Amino acid sequence: MATATGTLPQVQEETTIWTWLTTVDHKKIGTMYGISGFAFFLLAGLEALIIRTQLAVPNGAVVDADRYNQLFTMHALTMIFLGIMPLGAAFFNYFLPLMIGARDVAFPRLNALSYWVFLGGALLLTSSFIFGGAPDGGWFAYAPLSDEEFSPGAGLDFYAIGLLILGTSSLMASLNFAVTVFNMRAPGMSMMRLPVFIWMMLVVNFLLILSLPVITVALVQLVFDRNFTTNFFTPAEGGDPILWQHLFWVFAHPEVYVLILPSMGIVSEVLPVFSRKPLFGYAAIVFAGVAIGVLGFAVWSHHMFTTGLGTVPQIVFTASTMAIAVPTGIKIFNWMGTLYGGSIHFNTAMYFAVSFIALFTIGGISGVMHASPPVDSQQQDTYFIVAHIHYVLFGGAIVGIFSGLYYWFPKMTGRFLDERLGKIHFWLMFIGMNITFFPMHFLGLSGMPRRIYTYDADLGWETWNMVATIGSYMLALSIIVFLVNFFWTMRKEPTATDNPWDAPTLEWATSSPPPEHDFDVIPEVRDRDPLWYDRDHGIEKVEPPSEMHIHLPPPSYFPLLIGLGVLLLGVGVLSHLALTALGVVIVIYSIWGWALEPTE
Amino acid sequence: MEATEAAHGEHHTSLGVDNRMLLMWIFLASECLFFGSLISTYLIYKGESLVRPLPDDVFDIPLTSLSTFVLLVSSFTMVLAVYAAHHNFPKMMKLSLLSTILLGLVFLGFQVYEFRLFGSEGLNLSTNQFGASFFVLTGFHGVHVGVGVLYLGSMLIGSMRRNGLGPSGGLYMEIAGLYWHFVDIVWIVIFTVIYLIP
Amino acid sequence: MASDAHTKGSGSTLGPRQYIQITIGLAVVTVLELIASYAGLGTVTLVTVLIVMSAVKFGVVVALFMHLRFESRVFTQMFMLGLILATAILIGLLALFWNDSTDALGPEELPPWEHHGH
Ligand SMILES: [Cu+2]
Repeated sequence: MATATGTLPQVQEETTIWTWLTTVDHKKIGTMYGISGFAFFLLAGLEALIIRTQLAVPNGAVVDADRYNQLFTMHALTMIFLGIMPLGAAFFNYFLPLMIGARDVAFPRLNALSYWVFLGGALLLTSSFIFGGAPDGGWFAYAPLSDEEFSPGAGLDFYAIGLLILGTSSLMASLNFAVTVFNMRAPGMSMMRLPVFIWMMLVVNFLLILSLPVITVALVQLVFDRNFTTNFFTPAEGGDPILWQHLFWVFAHPEVYVLILPSMGIVSEVLPVFSRKPLFGYAAIVFAGVAIGVLGFAVWSHHMFTTGLGTVPQIVFTASTMAIAVPTGIKIFNWMGTLYGGSIHFNTAMYFAVSFIALFTIGGISGVMHASPPVDSQQQDTYFIVAHIHYVLFGGAIVGIFSGLYYWFPKMTGRFLDERLGKIHFWLMFIGMNITFFPMHFLGLSGMPRRIYTYDADLGWETWNMVATIGSYMLALSIIVFLVNFFWTMRKEPTATDNPWDAPTLEWATSSPPPEHDFDVIPEVRDRDPLWYDRDHGIEKVEPPSEMHIHLPPPSYFPLLIGLGVLLLGVGVLSHLALTALGVVIVIYSIWGWALEPTE
Repeated sequence: MEATEAAHGEHHTSLGVDNRMLLMWIFLASECLFFGSLISTYLIYKGESLVRPLPDDVFDIPLTSLSTFVLLVSSFTMVLAVYAAHHNFPKMMKLSLLSTILLGLVFLGFQVYEFRLFGSEGLNLSTNQFGASFFVLTGFHGVHVGVGVLYLGSMLIGSMRRNGLGPSGGLYMEIAGLYWHFVDIVWIVIFTVIYLIP
Repeated sequence: MASDAHTKGSGSTLGPRQYIQITIGLAVVTVLELIASYAGLGTVTLVTVLIVMSAVKFGVVVALFMHLRFESRVFTQMFMLGLILATAILIGLLALFWNDSTDALGPEELPPWEHHGH
């Protein structure tokens, strides 16, 4: 087993399409996740812009009601499943092995498979716009609206099949990552020395592993209701639409933590580096993250207070929901404690990280408000909720992702994103985000319902709607600035050294960008902040031996082939079952090829 | 428990356990939630059917008991296959594996027969909530048995190659066994909760 | 070379003999379950007895057939995580549906569209 397939000097840097299609390298897969995720993020942003344009003035006529329903549904689905989740997965793919001192994830081919299945599911879901109309029942697709009687088009089938495929991808990725975190750590990297980003992502992986099967069951029931004559959610036949809501939210509440925890992890990496001191209260922040994960499974019915749960369930779910504010608050204090007394270096990454704390806190506080059933019954289905989720998901998740992008960009590309353009990007985004979403609190409190495609004049909603729309255009502008920055930076010469920020974590111990095998010598970890420890104790980096025999897994086209098979399987359910059969054949054939393929 | 613990040979892992075993166990944890949701649905819809037939009208407990025993015996032959793989008894392993596959197929046969029987008594997916939740739950269990048959079939074919399943054959067999036994314990729960509890 | 030394569960001393005994034990418990379900016990007793017996079978298969008893604790922790969460969600959902207070609302408290319902 000590075969040396990749002795270093012979590694050739040729990147063709084929190398990308067959790659099992976590950095390449992370890059593909990143590019796809960002493309879908732009698409979802475009959908949001149309929505805001429609709502800018009373009785807007940009799109009709039907198209509008599709737009807000696809905006949510695309942002959540095709934008934020893959962007989190992009960072995790790229940095998980680097941060724990490994050469790759535990199952490199499975990792590639997760990506291809994701891409297939994403394209399938998005293609619904072309093939007869996108899903239009909201991202939650409440029954019985989603039953065939009220949604006769194919949109909801695209929804169910698309999410089933995407769920498969997330499950495979999460299993892979969880095993990697547990089992692939460098010598000395104990669990309580893991970077906080890794810890938060570990929680995310377990949230997905344990909640995806529940939505799978709900989606299967929906597919059966729509296509195979069952009546799970048809009240007239003894079914219960409330069951859909329960199963959906058992998954979807943990899912919102899946979206926000990666950014909490990113911010926990960025703040200490640019405050020049270790993270304040590491153990507390880790346990708070785990506690959020555990409590996240005990709060789902707070989305259903207005369905008439009864008094006792309301009290229980109010209490558990409010309890989540405690670990969340712990984290916020830890971040502020990290800043306190530090010699703060304000660059763009730090701007985003600090504003994350502020914006996320606003979203968190409005979240605690509707943990109370009487308050919730006022706010349910109004723009107040829209304001809340966007403070959490835009002010939280997206802002955190941009912080990570500016922070890790030199590691991934060897280049620094331009600071001046970066700050313009930041200020446009920060101001635009508040102008867009803060007025929605007012709109909600003055009674404007969510998901309406027009509103009459003189309801008192004109001003704030116009303001929100102006804000959304500022957000679009900020993204353009970022794109200019990105393409301009990529044309520059790479200048980044191994550790330009003097950061403490292991990904900065290797070159920028890292070599294919990540580390010449697997680092030894002696402290929670390994590079700072080595720096302060005068421990030199171990020189690589003159001749290295590093075993790298060979590329494989089976992940791509299985991904194709899974896509055909889904397309077949939506069109002709012969395609499904073909998909099954391809999947089985490829699994065989996969199993017999030499990996040593 | 930490990385300092010397792991086994060249397959060094932080926890000293094999990656693939760990993956399978975490996957089975996920599967618990899958079948948990299906069983929840079945129980929630218990008593919500508006028309007959109800469980009492169609269940044939002696028949289902028989198929339950078939699955139980298949777990026994599976565990023998794992034992044989570990102790290098290739013949015993192939024989036990083949028996497991055949018993799995017999179980599936019973299930097809049962589904058709219920169908002839007027119970199908659209009849009532019992029909919908029963067929989807036991159907997905059946799909798991079917996947297991394919999985074990591949192992059997693989073990007939010149160098068998290779040096890690025992490990591969053990992981396949985990899956098979899990499908069995799901049936233990289904048999009690769905068939026996009135 | 990399065969049994590290793939074999550390302390499993079970052999075919023991496996036969365990299988017979499982079969006996299943027969007991069947006897219980035909014995005309009260519902509560019957349900309790059946759940206990099936839990025993479940535990035996997991611990001995799946070797969980002889393996690293991390496997047990992972599996129990899923099992306990699944059980908790099942109990939570059943509690929510079986005590649905909206079922007990009088006709005058129902929303208008429910008046003509079943
Ligand atoms: Cu929630």
